[in-house]
Amino acid sequence: MNENFEQCLKCTVCTVYCPVVPVNTDFPGPKQAGPDGERYRLKAGLFYDDTLKYCLNCKRCEVACPSGILIGDIIQKAKMKYGPQKTKLRDAMLAETDFMGSVATVFAPIANPVLAARPVKAVMDSVLKIDHRRTFPKYSGQKFVTWFRKNMAAGQEKYPKKAVYFHGCYVNYNYPALGKDLVAVMNALGYGISLIDGEKCCGTALIANAMGKRALRQARHNVKAIESASDAGRLPVISTSSTCSFTIRDEYPHVLGVDNGKIRENVSLAVKFIYSLVENGEVKLVFKPGYRSKVAYHAPCHMEKLGWNIFSEELLKMIPGLDLTVLDSNCCGIAGTYGFKKENYEKSQAIGKPLFDQIGKVAPDFIACDCETCKWQLEMSTPYKVKNPVTILAEALDLDATAKANNHQ
Amino acid sequence: MKFDVVIIGGGLAGLTCGISLQRKGRRCAIVSAGQSALHFSSGYFDFLDRTADGKAVENPLDAVSALPEGHPYRKIGVEDLERYMGEVKPLFAGCGIELKGDWSRNCYRITPVGGVCPSWLCLGEFTPFTTAQAEVGRNVMVVNIPGYMDFNARFVAAGLEKRGAACRIVDVTVDELSGLRANPSEMRSSNIARLMDSGHVAVRFAEAVRMKLSGEDAVVLPAVFGLKDSSVPQKVAEIIGVRTEYVATMTPSVPGIRTQMRLRAAFERLGGTYILGDTVMPSEIRDGRVVCLSTVNFGNEKLYADAFVLAAGSFFSNGLAASRECVTEPVFGLDVHAADDRSKWGDMDFFKRQEYIGFGVKSDADFHAVKDGVSVSNLYVAGSVAGGYNPIAEGSGAGTAIMSAMSVAEHIISKIG
Amino acid sequence: MDNREFDVIVIGGGITGAGTARDCAMRGLKVLLVERMDIATGATGRNHGLLHSGARYAVTDMESAEECIRENMILRKIARHCVEETDGFFITLPEDDLGYQATFAAACNAAGIKAEIIDPGLARRIEPSVNPDLIGAVRVPDGAVDPFRLCAANVMDAKLHGAKVLVYSVVTRIMKEGDTVKGIEVLDTRSGQKSEYYAPITVNAGGIWGNAIAEMAGAHINMFPAKGSLLIFEHRVNNVVINRCRKPANADILVPGDTVSVLGTTSTKIPFEECDGVRVTADEVDLLISEGEKLAPALADTRILRAYAGVRPLVATDDDPSGRSISRGIVLLDHESRDGIRGFVSITGGKLMTYRLMGEWTADLVCKKLGVSQACRTAEVPLPGSEPVSMEKEPKKKIFAKAETGRHGGLASRIRHENELQNSLVCECENVTVGEIEYAEDNLDVNNLVDLRRRTRFGMGVCQGELCACRAAGLLKKAHRCSDEAMDDLKAFIEERWKGLYPVNWGAAMRENEYTQWVYSGMCGFGEYDTEPTE
Repeated sequence: MNENFEQCLKCTVCTVYCPVVPVNTDFPGPKQAGPDGERYRLKAGLFYDDTLKYCLNCKRCEVACPSGILIGDIIQKAKMKYGPQKTKLRDAMLAETDFMGSVATVFAPIANPVLAARPVKAVMDSVLKIDHRRTFPKYSGQKFVTWFRKNMAAGQEKYPKKAVYFHGCYVNYNYPALGKDLVAVMNALGYGISLIDGEKCCGTALIANAMGKRALRQARHNVKAIESASDAGRLPVISTSSTCSFTIRDEYPHVLGVDNGKIRENVSLAVKFIYSLVENGEVKLVFKPGYRSKVAYHAPCHMEKLGWNIFSEELLKMIPGLDLTVLDSNCCGIAGTYGFKKENYEKSQAIGKPLFDQIGKVAPDFIACDCETCKWQLEMSTPYKVKNPVTILAEALDLDATAKANNHQ
Repeated sequence: MKFDVVIIGGGLAGLTCGISLQRKGRRCAIVSAGQSALHFSSGYFDFLDRTADGKAVENPLDAVSALPEGHPYRKIGVEDLERYMGEVKPLFAGCGIELKGDWSRNCYRITPVGGVCPSWLCLGEFTPFTTAQAEVGRNVMVVNIPGYMDFNARFVAAGLEKRGAACRIVDVTVDELSGLRANPSEMRSSNIARLMDSGHVAVRFAEAVRMKLSGEDAVVLPAVFGLKDSSVPQKVAEIIGVRTEYVATMTPSVPGIRTQMRLRAAFERLGGTYILGDTVMPSEIRDGRVVCLSTVNFGNEKLYADAFVLAAGSFFSNGLAASRECVTEPVFGLDVHAADDRSKWGDMDFFKRQEYIGFGVKSDADFHAVKDGVSVSNLYVAGSVAGGYNPIAEGSGAGTAIMSAMSVAEHIISKIG
Repeated sequence: MDNREFDVIVIGGGITGAGTARDCAMRGLKVLLVERMDIATGATGRNHGLLHSGARYAVTDMESAEECIRENMILRKIARHCVEETDGFFITLPEDDLGYQATFAAACNAAGIKAEIIDPGLARRIEPSVNPDLIGAVRVPDGAVDPFRLCAANVMDAKLHGAKVLVYSVVTRIMKEGDTVKGIEVLDTRSGQKSEYYAPITVNAGGIWGNAIAEMAGAHINMFPAKGSLLIFEHRVNNVVINRCRKPANADILVPGDTVSVLGTTSTKIPFEECDGVRVTADEVDLLISEGEKLAPALADTRILRAYAGVRPLVATDDDPSGRSISRGIVLLDHESRDGIRGFVSITGGKLMTYRLMGEWTADLVCKKLGVSQACRTAEVPLPGSEPVSMEKEPKKKIFAKAETGRHGGLASRIRHENELQNSLVCECENVTVGEIEYAEDNLDVNNLVDLRRRTRFGMGVCQGELCACRAAGLLKKAHRCSDEAMDDLKAFIEERWKGLYPVNWGAAMRENEYTQWVYSGMCGFGEYDTEPTE
C-alpha cells in the first residue's frame, strides 16, 4: 500500500492547505476524497464520487500531511480506476499535448490567430467547454527538436561532459526559446546536450484527465527511451519543467505503477543540477557586470512537492544585481489543463487571486517560475512576463566568460 | 548544501530553536515532514499546569524543583528557565505573534467544551484568566455558527453558567458561511477562517453579531478568525462593541495554524531555510558526531552542518516510532526512554496518565542526544521527541518545547560558536 | 390486559432474544423484551460477523452445518441489508494436509453446502490478498453479516408487531408462585425505578448471562463462558472470506465486513466473574497476528483498528455434568419438564447464524404452552430494511447516501436530507450524517453515544471517534438532558473506544491515540486532571 492511506489520523491538516476547498464546495476535500473515500472504494467501486475530478493534483495536501500519505496519488488513481471510462473530446484535446502540438506547429501561422480569434473561442467555449477567457499558449512555427537537430546536435560532441535534456511538450511546440537557453547555459558549463529519441509527453495531462491507459503507455515508452538515452541512468537527465520532472520521477511509479528505478535518481531539474555543480565547485558561473532585475519567484506546486524550489531560489540568489522576492506559497490555480475547462475557470482564478495580488504589490520586472502552465496563468492574470530560472540564468550569465572559466573552448 | 545548523522538525520546538539561532546570525535549515502539531493548539501555551498529584500549579517556576531529575526543566535549571521565560513574549512579538499573560504565573483558559484548565501564556485573541472562575461577563451571548459542529455553544454556555454567568445562545451566520456548509465535510474552523480572512466577510459577520445583542455585556465566539491576518479577531471585537471572548474550537486550531505560519515566516525573514514535506532518511553517527543528513527529496544533495537538532515531535509526528515490539527513534536510532513490556505502555483508563506519552529520546544534561549510552557531540534534542516527562499529564507541552529549544540554541552557540 | 401483563417475556436483547421476540410477536403474542444494556451488547455484537455457510462444521457436526446453510440462504432473503454476499475460501497451506480438502468438500456437499474445489491460482486472482503459498482452495457460500443491524432489525420488527422493548433494564428478580414463574422484577438503570412485569411464559435468552437468570428462577444450566478475541483491521484487506481448510483453530477466519476486515478468534474458558468487561490480552493479539498473516500476509503490516472480545455461551449437555461434552447446536430447555419449573424456558447454545431457528423453536414451544397455533413466518417475511434497493454505480450520488443505503437498506429513504445540515458529516470515516443521527435517535432507541455507534457506525472508523465524538455529543438531543450528561457520555464513549485501542497501541494506532489524548485530555481538559472548580 504505497500511498500509505491507512496512516491517516484524520487530523484534517490536508484540508487546511487544499486550494480547491475554499472556492469549490462540490469538492469533498483531500481527506474525504483521498484516504476516507479509499476505504469505501475498497469495499465497492460504486462508492466512487464523481467530484474527485475537481482535484487539481497540486499535491499541496501531500506536502502538508504529517503522516506522509500520498493523498493526491490516491485521488488520481481512484479517478483512473473508478471514474468514467470515456474521455470527453475536450479533455482528450487538452491532454493529448503531442498530437495537438504536432498539428498546431505545422499550422502555427494559422493556429495561433485562429485560437486567439473570438468566434473560435466562442465555439470552443460553447461546444468544447474550454473557457473563452483563457489565452491559449502560442504554437511555435518550428519545433525545438527540429531547431536542435538542424543547428546544434552536431556540435555537442565537443563538450567534455554530457547531459540528456527532456525538453517536454511546451519547449518543443510552444516555447523553443527556453530549450535554446538551456542548451546555451549547459554548453557554457561544459556539458554537451543530447535529446531523447522518441521522447513523448510525460503524460501529466493524461493523468489529470484520468486517461490512465494512454498515460501508462506513454510512461513505459518514456522510461525505456530515457534508459537508452541516458546509458541506463548513467548520464544525468535534466528538464526545465518542474511538472515533467515530477511526473517522471514520482507519478510514474506511484500513480501509474511504472518502474523507473534505473533512471529516477538521475532525472532532475536543470536548476537542481546546476546548483549542485556550483555547490560542489565543479563549475563556475560568470555573470554580466551590469545585470539588474527585480524578480518575484513563484514556486509551482509540483516544485514544492519535489522540494526543489530552494534550488531555483538559491541559484537566483547567486546572480548579482538580481533583487529576489520569494512569493508566498500559493497555487496559481491553472493546474495544467484544469483551468482551461469552462467549469473550472472561475475557481481557477479565485485560487490564484492571493498570488496575483501579491505579485501586484511586489511589482517586479518579471516573474520567475519553473512551470509552463503557471506561466500561462500568471501572464494571463497579471501584467508581468514569466521567465524560467534557466532563461534568467542565460540572460544574466556572461556565457563566453563562463565557458572560459570552465576551461573549454 | 551547507548550513551552520540543521534542525529536523518544523513545529514549535524546531522553529523556536531556528529563530533563536538565526537571530544570532547562525544559518539554519529546518526539514519538516509535513505540518506540525501547532495545528492542534488550544491557543494557550502550557508551561507546567499540574503537579505530579494532579494539583493546579500557580507559580510554575516554584513547582520545577519538585519535578523528577532528567525533566527538561531540571536540566535547564531554575535560573536559566526564569531568563528564558522572560524572553518568550519578546521573542514571539518579534515574529508578529502577540502573547498575553504574566510569564511568572499560570493563568486559566476556557476549554472548547466550556471547562476551565490551568495554562500559562496565550495568543492575542484569548484572555489569560487570573482565576478558575474565568469570568467572561454577567450576561453573555454565546454565538453559534449554524452548521459548524466543532464548536458547541451549548457546552460552552453551560460551563459559563456553572460559573455564574447568564447565557443566551444565538445563531449568527453570513451567506458565505452557509455556502461552505453546502459541502458535507468541509465546514471546518480553518475553512471558515479562510473566508473570514477576506475582510468583508468578517465585518459582515461581526455586524450580524452586534445586531443580535440585547443588553449582553459580553460575547463568546469560536476562535475561527484570522488564519493569515491576525488583525481579524481584533477587528471583529471592535465592531461587536462589547467584551468579546474567543474560545478555542475542536481541531484544527486557527490560532495555532496562524502561529505556525508566523513562526515560519519569521524564520525565513531572518534568512532561515524551511524545507517542508521532506523526510530525513536514516542517518549515521560516526565517531560520536553527525556529519550530514540525506533527505528523500534532495537525493544525493546532502545537508551538512556543524550542529544538528532533533525536534521531530513524538509519535504523532513520527519523531518516535512504536512497533509491536519496541519504541525507536527512526532517524539515528537513538536511545529511548520506554518500557520494554508493551503492556506497560498505557493505562487501561484513557483519562489516567499514559506512560507512552512520556516516552522519548534520552539526552544528557546539555540536551545532547544519547546513542548506545554515549552523548552525540553535535546532535541535540528539543521538544516532545525528548523523553523524561509527560506533557499531557503535567500540562507542559508548549513550555518544554520552547524552553528546551532556547536552551539548545544557547548550547549550540556557546559550543560551536 | 394491563400494560404490565404480557403473553411472553423475553430476557436478553441479543440476537437470540430479538429473534425470539420477533417470532412471538409475529404470531400475535404480546411480547416484552428486556435487555440489561443496549441491544447486541453481548456475544451478538462481539463476533466475526461471518455469514457461515456451515462449511466450518461440515466435517465435525453435520447437523450444525445443515442448519447453517439453511439459515444462510434464509438470511440472504430476509435480511438483505445486513448481508454481504462475498463467498468464502477454505485454503490449504503447505503445512496443512491437502488430503483433508477432499474430505471437507465432500462433507460440505453432503450437508447441502455448495463447495467447489478451485485452482489455487484462480483463488489468488479472485482474492489477491490470500496467502500466495496456498496449495488448495475450496469456494463456499460464506458471507458477511452485520450483527448490530440484524439485531436492530429484529427488534424493530418485533416492535412493529406490537412488542414492548425495555433496554437498560436489569432483571433483579424472577417472580414465582410455587413452581410457576409469574413474571420478573426489572430495574431501569437510567431512572433507578423498579417495575414488575407478568407473563405466563418467561424466556431466558440471556446468552452467557442466562446462567444467572436461570439461577434466579431456581434452575441450573451447565454453562461454560468461552472468551474469543478478535482484531479489526483499518480497511478491507480481503473481499472474500478466508478460512483455513483444517479442523477449526485459533485465528483461522478473516471476514470482510463493511469498511473493515475482522480476524478471529481465540478461544479461552474464563470464569463467570470475568464475563463483564473481558479484555483482549497482548498474547492474544500476538497470536491472532501470527496466525492471521498465514491467511493473508498483508495483515502483518496492516494497521489494526482495535481488538475486542466476546463471551460465547457454551453449554454442556445435560447428561454430562463434567462439562466435557459441549453441545455444539441449539439448546432449548423446557424447565417444566427438565426441572419442574413451569412458565420458564431457556434458549441458548447455537450461534449467530441460527438465531432465527432458535427463535422459531422457542416460539413453537411458547405457542404450544399457550395453546396458540400460529405458524412461524420469520423465514419468509423480510425484516424491515431488507426491501431491494438499487446500489448501482451512481457517480453523482454522494458517498454518504450510498453508505446510508448500505446500512439501513430500504429504510434509508426515511433519513431526512432536507437541508444542508442534515447532509453534513459527523463521522467522516464512516460517512454518518446529521440526518442519519437524527433518524437513529428518533427511531432506533439510542440512549447514548455507544448505542448510536451500534446503529450507525459512527465512531467505528479510523479515528475511532476522535474527530466526531464531540460533534455527536452535541447532537443527541433526547439522550442528553443537559450538557453535563453530554460530557459524561462523551468521556464514557472515549473510554469505550480506548478499551479496544489499548491492546493494539503501537504504530499508527498509537499515533492516533496520542492525538486523541491531546484533544480530549489536553485541550478539553477531561479526566483525572480536571481542575474545574466545583463550588
